[in-house]
Amino acid sequence: MSTTTLKTWQAYAFAAPAFIALLPFLVACVFILRFSLSGESTAIEGFSIRAYQDLMTPFFGRSVWLTLRLALIATIAVMFMAVPLAFLLTSLTSPLTRRLLTVTILLPMILNLLVQAYGWTLLLGPSGALNKVLQSLGLIERPLFLLFNETGVLLGLIQTSLPLAVFPIVSAVRGISREHLEAASSLGANNWRVLKDVTLPLLRPALVGAGSIVFAFNASAFAIPLLLGGRRVQMLGVAIRDMISPLFNWSGAAAAGMILILMTLLVLVTSAWLVRVTTEKTKG
Amino acid sequence: MRVALLPTEHGGSYRFVMLALAVVGILVSALPVLVVTIMSFSATDTSGFPPSSYSLRWYGDVLQLFTSDDPSSAQSVVDSTITSLVVATIVMVISTGVCIPLAYALARGQRKVRAGMELLFTLPLVFPLVMLGIAFLLIAESLALELGIWRIAIPHVALVLPFVLRNCLSAMNGISVELEEAAISLGASPMRAIWDVVIPLMKAGILAGLIFALIISFNEFTITFFMYTIDVNTLPIWMYSRTVSSLDPSTLALSVFIIAADVLLIVLVDKLIAGKGNLF
Repeated sequence: MSTTTLKTWQAYAFAAPAFIALLPFLVACVFILRFSLSGESTAIEGFSIRAYQDLMTPFFGRSVWLTLRLALIATIAVMFMAVPLAFLLTSLTSPLTRRLLTVTILLPMILNLLVQAYGWTLLLGPSGALNKVLQSLGLIERPLFLLFNETGVLLGLIQTSLPLAVFPIVSAVRGISREHLEAASSLGANNWRVLKDVTLPLLRPALVGAGSIVFAFNASAFAIPLLLGGRRVQMLGVAIRDMISPLFNWSGAAAAGMILILMTLLVLVTSAWLVRVTTEKTKG
Repeated sequence: MRVALLPTEHGGSYRFVMLALAVVGILVSALPVLVVTIMSFSATDTSGFPPSSYSLRWYGDVLQLFTSDDPSSAQSVVDSTITSLVVATIVMVISTGVCIPLAYALARGQRKVRAGMELLFTLPLVFPLVMLGIAFLLIAESLALELGIWRIAIPHVALVLPFVLRNCLSAMNGISVELEEAAISLGASPMRAIWDVVIPLMKAGILAGLIFALIISFNEFTITFFMYTIDVNTLPIWMYSRTVSSLDPSTLALSVFIIAADVLLIVLVDKLIAGKGNLF
């Protein structure tokens, strides 16, 4: 008897407990889809696409547009910071500094989102740290309003999604062979040329992958716009919550949720396809 | 050293721009946490920065919150903390318990099974949290389920599965099948070989998975925000209900305890998987 590969039934037997643990999640996915097609707004009753038709309002359209716009801006900002941070993380030689930087970057994604929101409130508020510093430098006269508007939400999104980009890029940077870079610079390319013509093209699959995950994460953000945007920044997550809580429009919330899920899936699938196509092209 | 990625000298504009962007990234990551920490030592209860004088009074307040019985408030911080810890423990044990055999099946099973299963168990990672919260809420409400603490524990398990599996898998990938075969050829049963050879070798990955599950469950806000009830609520929900109208400095002091615990646990995970796996 060979132990190198499990028989299919054995593999499924080993996977069964995990499958049971995942089952509520799968049921939840199906449930949301079914509820979005319900004829009633508070119970599953019959089939209808009315919930989707009711969403075709300027209000919902604005919410979708705001969500896409903020998620895109946050993703671009994140990518501009993530690449240098990944370079920095991989070139640090002291284990202590490397660990310190790892914790600093990872913490915002894992830490209780309320704590982050407190931090941003204290930083960006009218008498907060940022306004105090800018005023004492004489750059502004009156405090800037940074909280409960798009600026605060954007900063929060950037902060919490940065680790999602940095760590995959770090593993990709580790995979770049030094010979490539040395060859380029020994042929006289300066640092910017090496970055543009060698490093970034080699990192492209990781960049596209990380960018799409950051975008999906930010498009479905809920706690950050709720806590930092107040009622004024109605990203989809918050808009969906409002359908549930004050309005009791359950099927509407389910339909809006399906649209959100489809949007994020579309971005993820398209980017996975892009990566596959471009890597095949460079190979061929 | 990767000279060309971040040159230590003669970098010119390249080095300057790269470091400047990295510093901005570090500031965006770290400033909120730092400000919370500084303000928690403030002696006054205004939110002006920097504090005019420093004290430990808010830490005293936190201690009092935890030690004195306050029957007047419906949600006590002690109950919420206990619920948080119980949920996190359940989530830790279940998610790791089911991921160890799954990682074994994926590492030793056929290739085509593996790709599909890995994709399936990564789904909760890309699924919008707010939709998970709403979906679980709708199920619990429309079926009128009496779940108690499992209201929160069941969704949390689904949420942490991808992280725990990632850690168990990378631990499993480093274990060569020859070790198992050696144990079996010496007379051990296949199950015995798994128990006595594979599991001990997976130890670092299993521990990292356990800690990851603990951190994520303990800090989770979005799903719990939809699922909590008056009887079953966690520490983040307690903090939310306390600060929904205004920021209260004793919550900042409590936050510092959470920050410290998280930093400690992340450092522990980083040590456990040092150099071998990726954080996620």
